[in-house]
Amino acid sequence: MPIEAHEVSWSTAGRLIVDRVSLALQPGQTVGLLGPNGAGKSSLLRLLCGLRRASAGVITFDEVPLTRLKRRDLARRLALVEQSATTDADITVLDVVRLGRTPWRSLLAGWRGEDSAAVEQALARVAMSERRHQQWHTLSGGERQRVHIARALAQQPGELLLDEPTNHLDIQHQLDILALIRRLETTCVMALHDLNLAAMFCDQLVLMKAGRVVAAGEPASVLTPQRIHEVYGVAAVVERSPHHGCLQVHYLPRTDRPGPGPER
Amino acid sequence: MTPLRTPDTRAPRAARRTLLLPVLLYGTGLLLLAAAIALAVSIGEIRIPFTTTLAAIGNALGISDVPLDRIHESIVRDYRLSRALVAACCGAGLALCGAILQALLRNPLAEPYVLGISAGASTGAVAVMVLGLGGGAVSLSLGAFVGSLGAFAAVVALSSGAASRPNRIILAGVASSQLFNALTAWIVSTSASAEQVRGIMFWLLGNLGGVRWPEVQLALAVVAVAFVTCLACARALDAFTFGQDAAAALGIPVRGVRLLLFTVTALLTAAMVSMVGAIGFVGLVIPHAARLVVGPTHVRLLPTALLTGAIFMVLADLVSRLVVPGQSLPIGVVTALVGAPVFAIILYRARPPM
Repeated sequence: MPIEAHEVSWSTAGRLIVDRVSLALQPGQTVGLLGPNGAGKSSLLRLLCGLRRASAGVITFDEVPLTRLKRRDLARRLALVEQSATTDADITVLDVVRLGRTPWRSLLAGWRGEDSAAVEQALARVAMSERRHQQWHTLSGGERQRVHIARALAQQPGELLLDEPTNHLDIQHQLDILALIRRLETTCVMALHDLNLAAMFCDQLVLMKAGRVVAAGEPASVLTPQRIHEVYGVAAVVERSPHHGCLQVHYLPRTDRPGPGPER
Repeated sequence: MTPLRTPDTRAPRAARRTLLLPVLLYGTGLLLLAAAIALAVSIGEIRIPFTTTLAAIGNALGISDVPLDRIHESIVRDYRLSRALVAACCGAGLALCGAILQALLRNPLAEPYVLGISAGASTGAVAVMVLGLGGGAVSLSLGAFVGSLGAFAAVVALSSGAASRPNRIILAGVASSQLFNALTAWIVSTSASAEQVRGIMFWLLGNLGGVRWPEVQLALAVVAVAFVTCLACARALDAFTFGQDAAAALGIPVRGVRLLLFTVTALLTAAMVSMVGAIGFVGLVIPHAARLVVGPTHVRLLPTALLTGAIFMVLADLVSRLVVPGQSLPIGVVTALVGAPVFAIILYRARPPM
């Protein structure tokens, strides 16, 4: 089992953010992390890639504890795409993707053929090869996200972690990015907000609330009306779409509170 | 059908070009620096023929041994050449500091003067000089170093978690500058004699008047060590483009690199301030100019900033000596007159956060 978390907790400023989470990632799968704002999705991703240190519990990579791995070795096996990360620097698409080779280059070695090959492949993967010389600040949100994914792929990771990769994107670009991620052979774990898109593009879902895992498994077993109500406080009907065959969540208007009407 | 051009066939040519370009660039930079130094050494209040100047420089460097007018030779060697070399080192060092701070703090306005590190170094130096802190055992440079570290700590504490809030660190720098300048003024106005006050005030705006060969050696050594250290971290600095977490996710030991480079910056600033006073805006202007020439990649940016800073400072010193006949302006006035408008332009151009 490549990555496993055993009873992992993390607290900051006296608040427990991640609460005894256990999970195991199967190679090659696309896993969606779901949950309301503040459920601990981003924090869990940061714990998994060693950016934060768990206050309790263990994360293992091929049964080696994360704390025993060097930062550089970790970066060779695991890449992170942050939520809308940007920069003021006058930097080109190619410069950004080349950053992905950082963990593979030694201090004195120059740019090698294998570095070029990895960068070319990553650029082609996200269909940005033609635009390699474009300036970062002229790219749209969706294009920036694609470049970030290319940078992560240039790291040639075994696992790719993505923190809300579709944030602030219009629906066309959301579908675009998710289809791209879905096509990757790399194991992907991504935090998502949209339940329907998660059901469409993920093999496995992990549903979180207040730092804890409420349910994990295939979309059909995780996305039930009871759970959606329990976690989000929203009434919903879940059915299989006749159009694309994936689960479809229909949210129902609230009935526990009077709607906008004369009697308030 | 025309065969596709593969990247492989272009690789050798590209490799040769990438090797040739830096050699040309840095070669030109070094030549320009040598020319600037020669110019600065040959111009001054006492007219010395250019050939005499060149011969004296040759003698000083041990290349030639031409008998010359003793006074002329001494002016060139002990006053003008040492002054020009220290100016070059200061410009190089401050530009390096600016490039490092801008990368680590991800803020285009970061530099030792704006962040108040220079002010802290001044306070430390003045405390040693006027109050005699450390009873003579503590040198001016050490006082400046402690002061600059104090200022650094103050800025980091005030902006706590600095890197995520780009504007906050500049505000913290403003507060820190004000605090340390007030401390300096307090020490000076309560403890210094009238003569000391005049000396200190002049020195706080930057003054290359007093430097001799011992300062040249110290400045060269400090800049060389700092430059090699920073160049070794060049790829780590690139990795900071998208912030600390992004750098860590690329395998950079973020804490260690930050600690090392902040210490180098503080040390460099302290060494410069203890020799020539607080000179502003060089660290701000030069890295931006260098980026326009070679782009943001630090392996190329750092040497370019180093050379550009050195050339700029030598010329700024020359201007400060020439602009008012019969007296020299503090060099900080000249650099600020160039730097403040550039600061405004950068501020104006700053892109709104997405």
